[in-house]
Amino acid sequence: MSLYGWLDRRYELGPLVRFLQHKEVPVGTHSLFWYYLGGLTLFFFSVQIGTGVLLLVYYQVGEQTSYESIRFITTKVPFGWLLRSLHCWSAHLMIVSLVLHMFSTMLLKAYRPPRELTWVTGFVLFALALGFGFSGYLLPWNELAFFATAVGTDSVKAVPGIGDWLMQVLRGGVDVSGNTLYRFFALHVVILPLATFAVVGVHLLFIQRQGMAAPRGHAASRGMRFFPDFALRDLLIWLLCLLLLASLAVFLPYGPRIPGVEWELGRKANPLAPAYPGIKPEWYFLWVYQLLKEFPPHLLRIEGPQAALAVVTVLMGIWAVVPWLDRRASREQPSPAFTDLGVAAILFIGFLTLEAWDIGGGAAAQPDVRAVARACAILTLIGGFAANALRFAFFRHTWFVFTGAVLLQAALHGLAGLSYLAAGSIGAVAAAVGLVLTRDRPALAGKKR
Amino acid sequence: MTAILIACVVAAATTESLPEPVRPFLSAKAKDGTKVLSDKDVEKLAQMPERTRQLLGAAVESVILGSADHLRILLSLDLPPQDMDLLLQDNCILCHSDPGNVRPRALFSPDPAKQKSNPLLDLREFVGDTHFRRGLSCSGCHGGSPKDESMTEAIAKRWPKEDERHRDRSWIPDFCTRCHSDPAFMRGFNPTLATDQLSKYKESKHGILLLREKDSRAAQCVSCHGVHGIRAAKSRKSAVNPQRLPDTCGVCHANPQHMAGYKTDSGEPMPVSQVAEYKASVHGKALLEKGDLGAPSCAGCHGSHAPMPPAVASVAQACRRCHALNGQLFDASRHKIAFEKNKWPECGQCHGKHAIARPTDALIGDRPGTLCHDCHAQHARDNALCDKTSARFRAALDELSSGRAEVAPHEIELAEKGLDVEPLSRAVTELDEALLQTRSRMHSFDLGTFERAAAPAGEALVKARQSIDTANADYRFRQRGLLAAIGSIGVLALAIALKLRELGRRRKGQ
Repeated sequence: MSLYGWLDRRYELGPLVRFLQHKEVPVGTHSLFWYYLGGLTLFFFSVQIGTGVLLLVYYQVGEQTSYESIRFITTKVPFGWLLRSLHCWSAHLMIVSLVLHMFSTMLLKAYRPPRELTWVTGFVLFALALGFGFSGYLLPWNELAFFATAVGTDSVKAVPGIGDWLMQVLRGGVDVSGNTLYRFFALHVVILPLATFAVVGVHLLFIQRQGMAAPRGHAASRGMRFFPDFALRDLLIWLLCLLLLASLAVFLPYGPRIPGVEWELGRKANPLAPAYPGIKPEWYFLWVYQLLKEFPPHLLRIEGPQAALAVVTVLMGIWAVVPWLDRRASREQPSPAFTDLGVAAILFIGFLTLEAWDIGGGAAAQPDVRAVARACAILTLIGGFAANALRFAFFRHTWFVFTGAVLLQAALHGLAGLSYLAAGSIGAVAAAVGLVLTRDRPALAGKKR
Repeated sequence: MTAILIACVVAAATTESLPEPVRPFLSAKAKDGTKVLSDKDVEKLAQMPERTRQLLGAAVESVILGSADHLRILLSLDLPPQDMDLLLQDNCILCHSDPGNVRPRALFSPDPAKQKSNPLLDLREFVGDTHFRRGLSCSGCHGGSPKDESMTEAIAKRWPKEDERHRDRSWIPDFCTRCHSDPAFMRGFNPTLATDQLSKYKESKHGILLLREKDSRAAQCVSCHGVHGIRAAKSRKSAVNPQRLPDTCGVCHANPQHMAGYKTDSGEPMPVSQVAEYKASVHGKALLEKGDLGAPSCAGCHGSHAPMPPAVASVAQACRRCHALNGQLFDASRHKIAFEKNKWPECGQCHGKHAIARPTDALIGDRPGTLCHDCHAQHARDNALCDKTSARFRAALDELSSGRAEVAPHEIELAEKGLDVEPLSRAVTELDEALLQTRSRMHSFDLGTFERAAAPAGEALVKARQSIDTANADYRFRQRGLLAAIGSIGVLALAIALKLRELGRRRKGQ
């Protein structure tokens, strides 16, 4: 009696096996690579769970123990340094692969019906991943984490009406303290994992029920069998990424030393010490951090941070409901406006992130903000023109309203010396005019996607 | 419109709350037609406590505070209520701060240069003066009473005549110490303040020159402490604050014209380079650049009210106030006897006086150019034990400091590789501490004492080197582990790639 037969009699494995045998992954005109990014993100998440559980064996949360236990893990526990290094590297690589997955979904329009909810659950997973990053950052209870969390939680005050209350709920008091550490720990190891398991489950269920999205116009193309052809390729990529992860963890145990991508333990947090300049959050929050810096303290009778976070909220809100906004894609028609939106989002976030990294500011402790803005604008303009040239060359896209607005803002701010806000306002007006002018001109919509 | 209404309501409320005599000032206008008191001034008046307002009303009523312009000057001082209360109760300063009432040479002004008044009559300095803030106002020194409404005879009698008091300054120490030498009186203000300044001053070089030789160029109380605007020494604004003292002493001691004609005890012209040398010295840099208040200023070695050039016999005692251990070691050394015999200043003989630099190991040794060699070549030639001792001192210090320079950079390098550098950090800290002790023990000029201090430093260096070897071995283990992982994962990946190729062929066949 085989084990399979034994299990089949009890659990009727037949339909599951037949499902796996017949499940196919669409093979379109585009590289299959984009289909592996979701699985890759899941792989890095699994590494996070594995290394996280092992770190929990020695980690002791508490003002008097968090820093000491992390120090003990990295210096005394056999392979403890490797666990922490893997956990940190894998966290960053997970966000990288998640962001690539999200943008590939956006640019390939895989969110179009009937997969709107798959996009929404993916968006929720993105938010949960950011929550993991934010809550995990504080747990070593070192100086950098303490001040970065103080700045991060302080920005919550900008939420209208309930800002102060929300900040106190997050911090467990008026200031970042041991209470904050306890609740961030609970969030990081219990609440967020449970929520993520649930949403990943739903996300995967949707994908299994509906299959992977074929590129638009290639719905009837041939497919590749999921098992074993695709699954083995998935496994091969996971193994190669594991190699990359292990090499990075051994050779760069504290990260590549780029602001927002480093995790050297440094000194223990001292709530009474003054905050030092140059504290920056993780790289994926840098664009929000820079946006907050670009806003004046007061704007149109509201506080600058409130205005900045309102902008971020509106942009994220638009991003979350893209499947319903992109009506052309839902009719299986080319929708270059939303391709342009995706490219514009990359340029917008890229410009702010480069500025936050002080690219072009030299080695000075206080870089010249004008020089930084100029260098970042030039890089963004090069990137933007290159992307649009490729879109025109390969897809005959001629709709560049959103990217044009972002590039106009970068040029006005970085090259002409206008404030970020003034340049952004001109860019927004230009985008609005562009939208009105091209609303009824589908001919501009491009030949392919 | 709303803003104008609110402003009107506030102005009306302010006018109502002010004493009757002050109200006309609010609408007083200057020659150009603008209001004398700005909105900000009116706001300051509105925020005054009740008692201050009453005092203000009384001052205006008695015409001592006679104009809106005068009130504007007083408000520009931004005084806290308790200081404003003192000011409003003192008719002397009220009268002498009114530009419409006194001549410029007797006018206290917030900006004497602009008013072309006496620079000593700076009103801002005066209201910060420790005497004023303790309630000891003009009359405390000048005589009369704060209630006087005009100049009285008592005021003229208190001091010598003007030409006489400027020509001969010897009356000043006695004048200040009427209060400052009276313990019972001073207890009411500052029980911890010394009251022996005059007796010390009389025995000091300054005191002897002024009081016995009637040399009015010699420093007395106001030369260092100032006149109006005297503050406690701990105040950063005080001319005798340790960090400002070198410049205060330098007003005379760095001025060749002022010091011309003065001679040292040995009969040489008094140098004027001391302040510049001090500022470049290890002590000057510590106090003035690093802000280390533990470092001595001029008074740290010379004393304050009894400044004397420390004689050969006592200069080392000034050093011992901070460098006590080195002093003890020196006292027990064979150098003590030789230095006494030759009447050499102990510490100063090797380290210098005002220009004391950070000592380096290069001073030590039996080679020409080193302090030990050059001094012994002159005074104690061909002493084999001395040569052996100084050579050993230098060799040991060179070995330890070059060892430290070799191991310390590994701390950063190994930390960047993610290795445990705690043992190395600990060893380097031990080495630093032991090196400090070793350098200090050199002042015993005894090989045995020196070796006992140098031994822990040597052990710490060995420990540091061992911890570097251990960390490097750990790193090699990690690299080998990674290679093994790459090998096994690579084999698995290759197997999958081969399987995929086979699958591809099979699919083509189908």
